[in-house]
Amino acid sequence: MQARRQWITPHEWMIKPTQQTEWIEGQGVLIWMAEVFSALGMGLYLVAIYLDNWWGALAAWFIIIFLKLPFHFFYLGRPWRFWRAIPPFTDAWKTSWIARGMFFTTVFAGLAMIQLITTYMLNHNMVSEAMVGPVTVLDYAMRFLAGLFALLTGIYCGFVMSYCKAVPFWNTGLLPIVFVFMGIADGLALILAVGLVTGGVDFHAIEYASQWVLLFNVVLIGTYLINASYTSATAEYSVMQLIRGKVARAFWIGVILLGILVPLVVSLLSIFVLPFMPLLLIFAVISHTIGAFSLKYCVLKVGIYRPIISRVPVH
Amino acid sequence: MKWGMVIDIKKCMRCHGCVAACRVEHFLPLHITWVKLIAYETEDGGVLDVTTYPVRCNQCKEAPCVDVCPTSASYQRADGIVAIEANKCIGCRYCVIACPYQNRTFLRKSSDPGYFPGYPQTGYEIKGKKLYPHQRGTTTKCNFCAEKIDYGLANGLTPGIDRDATPACVNTCQARALTFGDLDDPNSNVSRLIIQRHGKQLQSGLGTDPSVYYVDGKHGGNDNRAPEHAMTGSHIQHLSSVEARAKELFPWLKRDNE
Repeated sequence: MQARRQWITPHEWMIKPTQQTEWIEGQGVLIWMAEVFSALGMGLYLVAIYLDNWWGALAAWFIIIFLKLPFHFFYLGRPWRFWRAIPPFTDAWKTSWIARGMFFTTVFAGLAMIQLITTYMLNHNMVSEAMVGPVTVLDYAMRFLAGLFALLTGIYCGFVMSYCKAVPFWNTGLLPIVFVFMGIADGLALILAVGLVTGGVDFHAIEYASQWVLLFNVVLIGTYLINASYTSATAEYSVMQLIRGKVARAFWIGVILLGILVPLVVSLLSIFVLPFMPLLLIFAVISHTIGAFSLKYCVLKVGIYRPIISRVPVH
Repeated sequence: MKWGMVIDIKKCMRCHGCVAACRVEHFLPLHITWVKLIAYETEDGGVLDVTTYPVRCNQCKEAPCVDVCPTSASYQRADGIVAIEANKCIGCRYCVIACPYQNRTFLRKSSDPGYFPGYPQTGYEIKGKKLYPHQRGTTTKCNFCAEKIDYGLANGLTPGIDRDATPACVNTCQARALTFGDLDDPNSNVSRLIIQRHGKQLQSGLGTDPSVYYVDGKHGGNDNRAPEHAMTGSHIQHLSSVEARAKELFPWLKRDNE
């Protein structure tokens, strides 16, 4: 860990692989939370508009607006200057993924709000007969555009990290894809929770979709780790920290067991063995959500810088 | 014109003069240091040694910190110096994360408790905060003493040659391990050193193209030892894991342990 008094930084700092701390320790916990809610909100919104579930879309919108954005806001050292990062107040979107992300999130917030209003009006016959056609067209357009920007809101978090060449474990195009597919799996889990409260959800179909997405995620995470371990010695060190080191407990119990295996087993049981059991579904939803928190925690925690003097062995 | 620095690791005698000069020059808050010395221990056939690398912002030509900044608060001047406009910084710390050299520091409230925590600010501190109003909640880093360079150029001085136009760390280095000058001028002191002594950049594989170069026989290793008479008390800290060598150099350690 970096010495508090930095007259001379002893022994390990940037000589051996050094863990990033700004985005996971202390106030950095807020970034972890924001990252998790980005994935949950994105996944839930995409699943909700696909399944035409208004309550799910509303919950997703709330997650993005009232959880993701506030966590980001309170993390900033100068929060009231946040507007400086949003185009058109900055032209940094040409190179900065945070500026792009701020744009995606802002546009998503606006479009999704319009979509929620138009869908609500159509569902509750609040539109005159003459206007049903145009409002329906607007509703579909908003679904498409808001869905696109929800996807961008979820994927930019991955690009923010994958852009960092200094952290080899993050510096791969696979990271945004992992975040998106884990987010969709999160969305499928959360829509079950929404369905348990509001009804109108085909649990069987969601469980069926969920098992395939979870299986794909197992392959994706496995590929990611194998790929990282061949990329560089530092990335391999990150992988070792993840599977055997300080973060191993969070990875194996949080990501693999609770985030993937438990929901997968519950999905299979629900489809093939057991009748509909709300308590089992609630357990699976909670388990999966813990997995979502664990995934982002692990990825942030094993963000390790390559040593600045290349001759130094990492082990 | 592109300013750069060459650091001769063999000449560096770990006096921390550059660290102190930088702190004084910029009235840095108590827990912030722009220049750092990092210690690299090596062992070769039982012979242990420490090489010290003075590090600071590398003022990269392809600076990742500039690219990632969402507000353009980090920017590159025409002379290559990477600067921060504190009034535009939102404190997202993306630049801190993206810097491969970890030479940016986020200025927290806890990093700036005043030089004498619990006591009123001294006149020196008050004056310093007016001259260099480091803003809490923003990122800080070495700026190659850009204000001195600008002042020097405006007054017909040559940075790297004239002291009033040269970074404080370079001026203060008693071993003359630091050399400053124009990288674009093939006849400048820095360009000649880089060519003649095969200057190396840190993490050159990342494509950042730093403006800080290091010259020595070999990075690390025992042919790169500082002279023993130059070894200071700071070695106690570094040699703590190298007990036999520490006891040999600092006999009083042995006495204390026994």
